[in-house]
Amino acid sequence: MSNQDARKPGEVTFTVLMLVGSAFLLWQSFGISGFQSWSSAGMFPMLAAATLLVTGLLTVRHLLRRPAAPDSGARAFFAQIAPLQLLGGVGAVAAYMLMLQPLGFLPSSLLFLFLSMRLFGSERWGLNLSVSVASLAAIHLVFSTVFSVVLPKGSWLVALLPI
Amino acid sequence: MQALEYFLMSWADPYLLFLTAAGTFAGIYIGAIPGLSVTMAVSILISFTFKWEVNAALALISGIFLGGVYGGSRSAILLNIPGAPAAIATGLDGYPLAKRGEAGMAIGLTTVVSVIGGFVGIIALAVAAPAVSEFALKFAPRDYLMLAVWGILLVGSLSGGSLAKGIFCGALGVLIGTVGLDPMTAEPRLTFGSLQLSAGISYVAAMIGFFGVAEVLVQLRELRQKAVRQDVSKILPSWGLVRKYLPLSLRTSSIGVVIGALPGAGGDIAALMAYDLAKRSVKNPSRPFGQGAYEGLVAPESANNAAVGGAYIPMMTLGIPGDAVTAVIIGALYIHGLKPGPMLMVETPHLFWFIVGSLTLANLFLLVFGLSGIRLFTKMVETPKAILLPLILVLCAVGAYAINNNPVDVYMMLGFGVFGYFLKIYGYQVAPVILGMILGPLMDKSFRQAMISAGDSPAQFASEFFTSPLSAVILAALAFTVVSQTTAWKRWRSRQA
Repeated sequence: MSNQDARKPGEVTFTVLMLVGSAFLLWQSFGISGFQSWSSAGMFPMLAAATLLVTGLLTVRHLLRRPAAPDSGARAFFAQIAPLQLLGGVGAVAAYMLMLQPLGFLPSSLLFLFLSMRLFGSERWGLNLSVSVASLAAIHLVFSTVFSVVLPKGSWLVALLPI
Repeated sequence: MQALEYFLMSWADPYLLFLTAAGTFAGIYIGAIPGLSVTMAVSILISFTFKWEVNAALALISGIFLGGVYGGSRSAILLNIPGAPAAIATGLDGYPLAKRGEAGMAIGLTTVVSVIGGFVGIIALAVAAPAVSEFALKFAPRDYLMLAVWGILLVGSLSGGSLAKGIFCGALGVLIGTVGLDPMTAEPRLTFGSLQLSAGISYVAAMIGFFGVAEVLVQLRELRQKAVRQDVSKILPSWGLVRKYLPLSLRTSSIGVVIGALPGAGGDIAALMAYDLAKRSVKNPSRPFGQGAYEGLVAPESANNAAVGGAYIPMMTLGIPGDAVTAVIIGALYIHGLKPGPMLMVETPHLFWFIVGSLTLANLFLLVFGLSGIRLFTKMVETPKAILLPLILVLCAVGAYAINNNPVDVYMMLGFGVFGYFLKIYGYQVAPVILGMILGPLMDKSFRQAMISAGDSPAQFASEFFTSPLSAVILAALAFTVVSQTTAWKRWRSRQA
C-alpha cells in the first residue's frame, strides 16, 4: 500500500462529522412535511439528505479500509492540515470581517492588509505599507465608482464624526 | 442579418469593447498567477456586476473565461506550476522547453494555437447550439431532472475524485440550494427558524468562499514554495512553425469542443485527452514527449481553449454547465433575470449571438495580449504570496459584501471558505457543491412537476423513463456514468486491456 493511500490526520473525524450532519439534515428534512406526498415541499430535500447519508456511509467504509498515517494524532493534524500560519490567517480574516462593519472598509482593510502581509512572511514594512495603501486606493476607486459597490463606512466612525 | 447585428454589438460599442479587452487582459494575468483560478475570478466578479446591464457583465465574463484558460499555460511553462487545471498537461513539455531557454517561443506558439482552438470552439458553438436548443424543447421535466443529476455526477466523478465523494458533494449542494421558503407552498425548509435563512443561502457567497477563500487557505498551507525565474526573449513564433502544427492544432481542437460540450467535463480533461492523443498519434515529435516536444504544447493548448466554446453549448441550450466556470456563469445569468435553457435561445436569441460575438472579440484580444507585455507578466507572476493572498481576501470580502450590502454574506463566505478548505484537503470536489446549489431549485421543481404529472405515483414516474425514448437515453447515460466509476467496472476494464 503506498503512502499516498494512507488516511490523512483528522480525515476520519471530518468524515464522521459529515455523516452525523447528514443524519441530522435527513431528520430536519423529514420534519418539513413528513411523507405527506411525493410532490410535497419536504420530499426532495429528504431524497437529497438520504443520498448524503448513503454516500457518507460509503465514504466512511472506504476510509476505514485504508491504513492510518504513521503519525495521525492531534500533533500531526496541526502540523500538516491546520498549521500555525493557516490558523493565524483564518483568525486574521475572521477579525477583519468582524471589524468591517464597525470600523469601515478603509481602516479595517488597511489594518488587515498591513498586518497579514507581515503575518504571512513579508518582512519589508515599507513595501507592505505602500502596497496596502496603493491597492486599497485602487480597490476603493474601482469598486465604488465603476462597480457602484457601497462599501461599509463604519458605524463607529459615523457615530464619532457624523458624515 | 439581425444575428450579425447582435454579433457585432460588442465590437461596435466602445464601452463593451473596452470591457471585453479588460476582461481578457485580467483573465490572462489572473489565470497565470498560481493560486488564482479563472473560476475564482469569475465568482468574485459576478458579485460586482449585479447592478450592470447584462451585456456589459457578459462581455467582461467572456473575456475573463477565455483569457483565464489561456493564462494558466504561462505559469505552467515558466514556473512548472499550472495557473489553472486546464494547463496541467501544458507544463509537461512547456517547462522542459523553458529550461532549454525556449520559454518565449513556447509562450508564442501556445498563444497562437490557443487562438486557433478558441476559434474552432466558437464556430462549433455558433453552429451546434441553435440545433441542440431546438431539440431540447422536447425535453420533459423528468429529463431536466436527469440531465441536472448527470451534470453533477460528471463534475464529481470526471474531475478525478471518488464517485461517492462526488455524489456526496452534489447532494450537499442540492440540499443547500433548497434552504429557504418553498417557492410553491412557502413552507420554510431547513431554515432553523432563522429569518436570514428564509431568503435562502446566496450561492455567490458560497462560490467566493469555495473558490476564493478556500483556495487562499490552501495556498497559505504551502507558503514556503518558491517560484523559479525564467528568461523570456523572442516570443513571436515563425509562420513555418505555426503552419507545421496547424493540422495537429485543428485535430485536437475538435477533441476540445466535444469534451468541453459534455456536461461536467471541462478544459482540464480535454487538454489531457488531447495530449494523450498527440502522444499516441505523432510518430516523430520535435523532441520526445515530456522533454520539450512542441506537439506536447500544441495539443493541450488548442484543446483547452476550444473547450470554452464547447462548454457554452450545454450551458446555453440546456442550462447544464459544461464545467465549474460555466456553472458560475449560469449563476450570473440567473442574477440578471435570465434562465439558461432552450427557451433562452427562443426568447432572447440576441443574447446568444452577443455571447458568440464577445467570445470572438475576446479571442482576438487574446492574440494581442498574449504576444505582448511579457515583461510586466513575469513581474506579476513573481509577486510574493505574502503580498498577493491578503489582497485576494480583501477582494473576496468586498465581493461577498456587494451581494446585498449585508455583513452576514461575508461571514457565510468565510464559513464556506473554511469548510471548502477541509473538503479540498480531504479529497472532496467543491465544484459539485456549487453546481448542486445552482441546479438544486431547478431539480426540485422538475422533480415535483414530473411527480404531479405522474399522479404522485412513483411507479408511474419510473415507468415514464422507459416509455419515452429520450428519457431512456438520458437515464442510460446516467447509469453508465455511475457504473463506469465503480471498482468492479474498472477491474473489468483493466482485465480487458
